[in-house]
Amino acid sequence: MPDPMTVLVTGASGFVGAEVTARLTAAGHTVLTLLHRTGDLVRNNGRKLTPGPGTLTAVSGDVTRPGLGLTDEARRIVAGADRIVHCAAVTDFGLSYARYERINVAGTRNVLDIALAHRTPLVHVSTAYVCGERDGTAREDELDVGQHPGNGYERSKLTAETTVRKTAADGLPVAVVRPSIVTGASRTGRARDRKTVYPVLRVLTRGLVRTVPGHYDALLDLVPVDRVADMVTEAATRFEDAEGRTLHAVGHELTLRDFSEVLAEYPSFRVPRFVPPSAFSASALPDRERPYHDRVIALYATYFRRRVHFDDTQAAAFVGRPAATGARPYLRRLLDDCLATGYLGPALGPEQTAARPDGSTHR
Amino acid sequence: MILTEDQLQDLLDKSLAELPRGTEWAVTLEGSIAEGFGNPSSDIDFLLVGRSEDDLPTMPSLLFVDGRRVEIRTRSVRQLIDQFRAVEKGAKQPGRLFEDLLNRCQRLLHSHPLRGHALIEEVKAVLPVERFRRITADWWAHRARQSLRHAMAMLCLGESDEAADWTRAGLVQTVKSWAAGVGETYLEPKWLSMQLDRAGRSDVRDRYWRLEAATPAPGDTDAVHAYLADCLAFAEDLGLTGVPRQPERVTVERVAGITTWQTGDRVHVLRGRRDVFALGDEAGAVWRSLVLGRPLPRVLATTACTGVRAPGPLLAEFLRYGLIRLAWKGGGTITPSLPLAAPSGPVTPPPSTARPLLSVRGAAVGGPRAVDLMPLPADRFAAAAMSLVWSNVVVENAVEDLTGALQRGQWRVAEIAARRAVHAALRGLFSAHGVNPLPTDTDLVRCLDLLPSGTAPIGEHAGDLLWRTVDTPERGDALLTELRTFIGRVRGAVGADSFPLSFESADTWRATLELGYDWLRIGAHLDAELPIEEARDLLAGHGTQPHQAR
Repeated sequence: MPDPMTVLVTGASGFVGAEVTARLTAAGHTVLTLLHRTGDLVRNNGRKLTPGPGTLTAVSGDVTRPGLGLTDEARRIVAGADRIVHCAAVTDFGLSYARYERINVAGTRNVLDIALAHRTPLVHVSTAYVCGERDGTAREDELDVGQHPGNGYERSKLTAETTVRKTAADGLPVAVVRPSIVTGASRTGRARDRKTVYPVLRVLTRGLVRTVPGHYDALLDLVPVDRVADMVTEAATRFEDAEGRTLHAVGHELTLRDFSEVLAEYPSFRVPRFVPPSAFSASALPDRERPYHDRVIALYATYFRRRVHFDDTQAAAFVGRPAATGARPYLRRLLDDCLATGYLGPALGPEQTAARPDGSTHR
Repeated sequence: MILTEDQLQDLLDKSLAELPRGTEWAVTLEGSIAEGFGNPSSDIDFLLVGRSEDDLPTMPSLLFVDGRRVEIRTRSVRQLIDQFRAVEKGAKQPGRLFEDLLNRCQRLLHSHPLRGHALIEEVKAVLPVERFRRITADWWAHRARQSLRHAMAMLCLGESDEAADWTRAGLVQTVKSWAAGVGETYLEPKWLSMQLDRAGRSDVRDRYWRLEAATPAPGDTDAVHAYLADCLAFAEDLGLTGVPRQPERVTVERVAGITTWQTGDRVHVLRGRRDVFALGDEAGAVWRSLVLGRPLPRVLATTACTGVRAPGPLLAEFLRYGLIRLAWKGGGTITPSLPLAAPSGPVTPPPSTARPLLSVRGAAVGGPRAVDLMPLPADRFAAAAMSLVWSNVVVENAVEDLTGALQRGQWRVAEIAARRAVHAALRGLFSAHGVNPLPTDTDLVRCLDLLPSGTAPIGEHAGDLLWRTVDTPERGDALLTELRTFIGRVRGAVGADSFPLSFESADTWRATLELGYDWLRIGAHLDAELPIEEARDLLAGHGTQPHQAR
């Protein structure tokens, strides 16, 4: 086991951050969790995170504020960190760019300032979708190649990662982990945080939108949250091997055809018809479908067009574990978990669906 | 035994005299007579055991000696030891232990040696009889559990007669399990009465026969409930575990290879990418309400919300056809089988006789509760449906071409457009009847005798139109009028749903396209043939209306 370290984790209450924190403390490291609100950390299995044998120290702060809004005392504690793992980000779609800019871009800049102050090695959690709208293979050593980001979220993450790389060029030790679409646990499919593909599945399986612009061979890469957390944790604990690298934390490649055929295995699920984007017109949708299209499907439509494969040569060499296999069984586990918890299943009554047409889970 | 030792030795001598000489066999009498059962018409079953290393034939020799049928089997010592070992190995999973293997071991263990006693006893000692009793008792107990759980499920679904039959099967299996535990391991239930007589527990015997005689009258649901409760209580008293009367432990589960595809309002369920079931509206609503993995009573309560009367029997039908399966929490899939019968597996009903079979909106069904099997393989079904959609588009397109050509006095162009429309309409007609692959265009008229006889006048009409020439505006207008009449006839023959006049408005065109995409979805799943490459372009490429700017 490596010598115990002190690691500052931003976004420690998040989907990935809580799992990284749990792994670090389980490995005997001390974790400083940067939180802008108090409360227990909850693991993906829904249970309260119990640290150990390493300890957990909550540090009140906010990535959007210069110096992370730390008090003098907190700044002194953070200065002692051996690593910084920057997980904090807003991952919801459809927000104003100002919000992405404030949290994802300025937030990263603020974290970089803290890291630079003490030359603290940084693991930055980005996204594989910084590749933007394109087909073909996206490599780990590519960053800004003039791509067109699919949405504000991708644009903000591309800007943030570019800033991280510039800072690295200025001498900050950095490793970047790029997860694809983070979804439920490998073995159980369980997901505490149902964002990204989940609201889409909800709207589609309930038949709230039946016609979706997309290519049957478009690829979505779903990566189990535990796989991402493992890689981020390993990048922090084996930083000397990860330094300077960009690692694609990717999982199961699924085409829209895979989605279509797996959804068809569930009698109660509606299977959308995917139509060529060139033939699709949102205005031609029935009135009852259009709000769901506009508020959910339109936000994700960019992913239904891309046929992008993420090369993970560096990541595979770094972790030394085989690539994930069994994409369709994994999707079934995700769907089964959603059914078991009632997230998916027969539609709610009309008054309930009307209250939340985007199918979101935001509280 | 109904035969004396001398009688048996005499029969054996006479039997062996008819076999080739040379091998030294140990011989043992197996079967009902050796068990102490039998009657004058029972077979004499001799097993000849040799030390040969070669596998000996499984098929018995049949002889008739002194008016009795004699069956002679030969086995090597190694083959018999292998049998015993296979039983021992399979004992942990009684559901996978073959009845024939168990039967062979039982017959040998309970056989009566006639020659070479030492060798027979040496072989028998490989599997102690006490161990075999336990294995057989567990084997029957497993079957009893499956039958009783299935009976519980059937009762839940309102299939009380079926529940009664499975309760009765479970009753026999339960008492056979108990009897095996006290040494009565003979598998065939036909000697059950004699087994119970000599098992030494008249209370068990009498209670069994009372229950056996108490089978409820058909349709008497209350009586089936009471009967099942009595049989479960009896089973519990005999030590059968794993069948508490808790229907909520029965769950409805997914079957691999079952997929649901809807076009228009029609729900199609594919089984194993091979069979297509078309569901009537009520059956479709019940199917669509299924959330698998949940307890049966909860599933049933959800199906009741569909407003469909008596959803239980529909679920039972889905189960029968292998579209869903039932499981017992912690006990795996429920696989009921009658005593000494293999689990029956999914039933395939007779295929639908609906004609025409298809519309662009889906398969024809026999009624709202129909779960109709299509009479053609799934890939051809999907290909026929896509071809129907495409024919519909081509007819409309060709009529537009014809109209345009006539306006410009392009007579030859008009003739070709008219022929194209006729051929496309015929292709639609064939496709609606499930014909796929289609005959070539030139054979379409000749092949009309493949279709129901009512379509014959359409063939004559088509034949006439295909020879029409145009050289004046009057003849052109007449051709167009005649073509519209012909298309009307085809629509009349296959139903307006099959040809919904796609070009009538933007909405109908979009609706046709959407149906095309729906069928393409199934076609892609089945890797079915697309009608022609243009269809792929239309459905998967541009999707714009021919001859119109977007």
